[in-house]
Parts: sequence; structure tokens; C-alpha cells
Amino acid sequence: MSLLRRKKGDEKSVEPDSMPVATPINEATPRQQVCVCGKITRMTARPTAGQPALAILVSDATGTVSAVWTGRREIGGVTLGRRIAITGVPVIRGEQLEFTNPGYTLLSR
Amino acid sequence: MHVIVVGCGRVGSEVALNLASTEHDVIVIDRKVESFRRLGDDFKGTTMVGVGFDRDVLTEAGITPSSAVAAVTSGDNSNILIARVARETFGVKHVVARIYDPRRASIYERLGIATVASVAWTSARVLRHLLASESTPDWIDPSARFTIIERRVPAAAAGMTVDHVETSSEGRVVVLGRFGTASIPTSGTLLQEDDVIHVVVPAEQAALLDQALHLTEESHR
Amino acid sequence: MNVIIAGAGSVGRYMAGQLQNSGHDVTLIDNDSTIVAQGRATRTPVGVTWYLGDACEVATLTAIGAAKADVVAAVTGDDEDNLVVSLLSKQEFAVPRVLARVNNPKNEWMFNDMWGVDIAVSTPHLLTALVEEAVTVGSFVRLLSLEGGKARLAEVTLAAGSPAIAKELTDLGLPRESTVVAVLRDGHVVVPRGDTVLHQGDEVLVLVTGGVEDDVRRALVG
Repeated sequence: MSLLRRKKGDEKSVEPDSMPVATPINEATPRQQVCVCGKITRMTARPTAGQPALAILVSDATGTVSAVWTGRREIGGVTLGRRIAITGVPVIRGEQLEFTNPGYTLLSR
Repeated sequence: MHVIVVGCGRVGSEVALNLASTEHDVIVIDRKVESFRRLGDDFKGTTMVGVGFDRDVLTEAGITPSSAVAAVTSGDNSNILIARVARETFGVKHVVARIYDPRRASIYERLGIATVASVAWTSARVLRHLLASESTPDWIDPSARFTIIERRVPAAAAGMTVDHVETSSEGRVVVLGRFGTASIPTSGTLLQEDDVIHVVVPAEQAALLDQALHLTEESHR
Repeated sequence: MNVIIAGAGSVGRYMAGQLQNSGHDVTLIDNDSTIVAQGRATRTPVGVTWYLGDACEVATLTAIGAAKADVVAAVTGDDEDNLVVSLLSKQEFAVPRVLARVNNPKNEWMFNDMWGVDIAVSTPHLLTALVEEAVTVGSFVRLLSLEGGKARLAEVTLAAGSPAIAKELTDLGLPRESTVVAVLRDGHVVVPRGDTVLHQGDEVLVLVTGGVEDDVRRALVG
């Protein structure tokens, strides 16, 4: 068993190698692939036409974006207060950017 | 477990025949009645002619949240429709879709749909996805001390660190597949729902891993 | 506007021609090499850019400029293709307006936000509606579903017994989640105002959001 254990203090970083660099929310532009990072500040179920959808607001120091997963009621680990990275191509909805079914990475607090 | 296989091509029929010989009850749906010939005369399951993403058809096939659904028709688009209807309309947790195009597969993984690319050994992988409790290993080392097994992370284990899983299972997470892309995780990486992890564990200790991932709490009935 | 039309059957080609004519930049894509070859050779519809490929693939959508498209219309004869094109357009390319054609009315329930569809057009439904319109005066006919099912455009031709006749629009008692969009009278469009008085034979086009169709029907049909 000890053959398999990692050496303690090997790596400090939390994000796996494949996570892209995050852009501050106020610098993200609509319709461009981007990764933003922040805290989940709101979570709502947003059913439309009888189908469920999960909507969250993610905020960093510079702004807020929303992310919607259509057809899902909940996603493991996606909870209020969680730090999360969102990757995708957002639309502009009013004043805010919105991601539909984006990629996400749970980050430690 | 009640398993619904949509698409009675080579993979669908293999999966169905395999399952019918176990204690699971299987129903195969296909648009064409001729496709059922592949099942042979002794097929112990049920067949049904119909469109797999039609809600009425699935209801008639006895779909419930505790069913398992394999969308293995010859069309990627049909498979994704079937998978989403099963998951999102009927609340089925064990859904797997066969997708030929790997780029589309990564997009569908973001919808939380388990996808299996079309390769020769697909029926084995489909079965593995449907019957998470069967631990067919990826690899067993020649001395039989270690095995590498593949698991899909359930929602209950989301937020768990790789370190926690490794410590609890006495194994090592070798590769992490997320949204169709593979990476090598660090000990601090947080696991997410639907991640596919390949873990090297001491032989005979798959159960420890399943426990660590809360997979043993999943009901298959 | 940049418009991408997926599906170069008669519907797609017709739409392409109309839109290109109105000054929009239209790309028409289809997977059938014969159709595309013919379109290119005859250069019809005029001015339209033809593309041979599968619009259900991200690489293809990228190549035809989906990232800059203002509208994607998925109007193939295959509902599965239309849904996938819509989902990819919305999710991967943030296309502001996605329109999709419903071939089989049994599938209409999927043509909404779930698959990135903003506007669902059901050809059989529309055709039936038009036939119904010709045949029955006085009934409430649904024409179009918009915003992923959140809004519906409906039409009523006022029959002799309609409670709305000789009333001003403000006195109809229409619920808040509905708006009279236009009144078609004797072949011309009357822009509705609060004091517009309705006549027998008027075709009233009303937009309904929310579940108030029954109230609207009661006010216009009785």
C-alpha cells in the first residue's frame, strides 16, 4: 500500500493541469471562449416549459456572471459560497454575461 | 435492475444479450423490427418497436428513475436525445450514450451524460457504465498485486479531494477524465460529479474505492 | 445580419432567398452534395453562400462563422439534427437568436431552452393552423411558440357572436400577460391602440405569455 502513496508536500496547487487561466469578469467579452473564477453568490432552480434548469450567479471582485445548466436540478458540489471556475462562450443578457451548460471546476474555499 | 437498450445494432444486441443472461431485466427498443433478429431466438428479454426519445415509448417500456438506459443507436444525435430525455425527463441516473464524434462527446459530457466512444470493445464499456457495481478492471498487473479500475464519480462524492479518495482506498488516482478531456490530477484536485477516474488499487480492494466514492450507497434496484 | 440556415430543402432555400434579398448575409449549409452542387452551379438563391457539411459538428459551425452569426435557423427535415444544431449554436457559439423547425409535432415539447431553441416553428402545426383559420372563423389558433415556449402568438378571427365586437381594446378585459400585437382588417394592418374598436371579421393577433390563454380566448371568442 505504501508504494502507492504520494509524497507529502509534493504539490500545492488545487487545479489540475488542464484548467485554463481565469479572466477577471469585467474583462470577459460576450461570444468569446473564456474562463472566469469566483464565488457562487446565488443559486436558483429555473424551470422553463416544464423542464428543470439550475442557474447560479458567480461573482469575483470585478463583477458577476450567470451560468445555467438546462435540464438539471442540481450538480454535486455546486453550492452557495463554493468557489468555482466557469469555462465557456457566454451570451450577453441585459447587463450580464450568461453561460449555458458551461464546463466548470470546483475550487477549494 | 430494469435496463432499457435503445438501438439493436451490433453493440445494442451484444449488450442486451449479455444483460438478459444475468438477473437484470432487459427491454430493447428499435425503430425497425428486423433489427431484433440479431438477438436470436432465445433472447430472454423483451423487445419494442419505437423511437427511443419518445416519452410515450419510454413510459411504455417501463422507465423509472431506477432504470438504466443505454442509448446505442447508430446515430449520435438520436443517442444524445435519448440520453437527455431519460435523465432529465425521467430522472434516470444510469444513462450512457454512444457517441462516434469525440468532439461532440466532450460537449455532451458537460450535460452530465456519460458517453462511450465507438470502438470495438464498446459493449463491454457500455455494460461497465450501466452496472457500476461490476468492477471489470482496466488492467491487472502481472504479479496480480495491483489493478487499475475505472469509476465514474457520483454526485455524492463531488467536492472530495483526490487525496481523500487515495487515502481511503489506499490507491492512487492515475488519470482524471472530465468533460471528455483527460488530465493528471494533483492531490488537491477536487472531484466532480461525472468525472471518470482511473485508479490503481491493491488487487481485491475495489470495494474500498467504491466505499470512498459513496458508490456502494447507490441503489441499483 | 449574419444568418446561418441549416437545411437546404425547400424551406431553407426559400428562407435564404428572402433574407438575402432583404440585405442580410446568408450562409446555407446542407450535408447533401447534390443539393449543394446544384445550388452553387445555378447560383440560387442569389447571393447566398453555400456550404457542404454537417451543421451538427462544432468544427463545421466554426468554419461557417457561427461565432459571428446573429441568427441560426435549423430547418432540416430531421428534428434530431435541428435540436443538436440549436444546442451547439447556443452553447458553443452564444448565437443570440436560434430558430428551429419542428417536423414531428410529437417532438415539439423539446424545442425550447433545453436545446437552445428560442423560436420553434412547427410546420405541420402552422399548416394546420392556417387550414383551421380558413375553415373556422371564431376559434383561437396558435401560430408560433417564442422564447423557448414562454410566449405564444395566437390568432382569432372575430365571429358574429364574439364578446369583443364593438368594444375598445382597453375594455376587453384582456389579462396582463397578453398583448394585442396587430389587427388585420380588410387586408390591411391596424396598429392597435387602447381606443381601437374591434369589428366582426377582424383577425386579432395576440401574444400570450404565462398561462392566460383561456382568459384571452374568453375575451375574444366567448
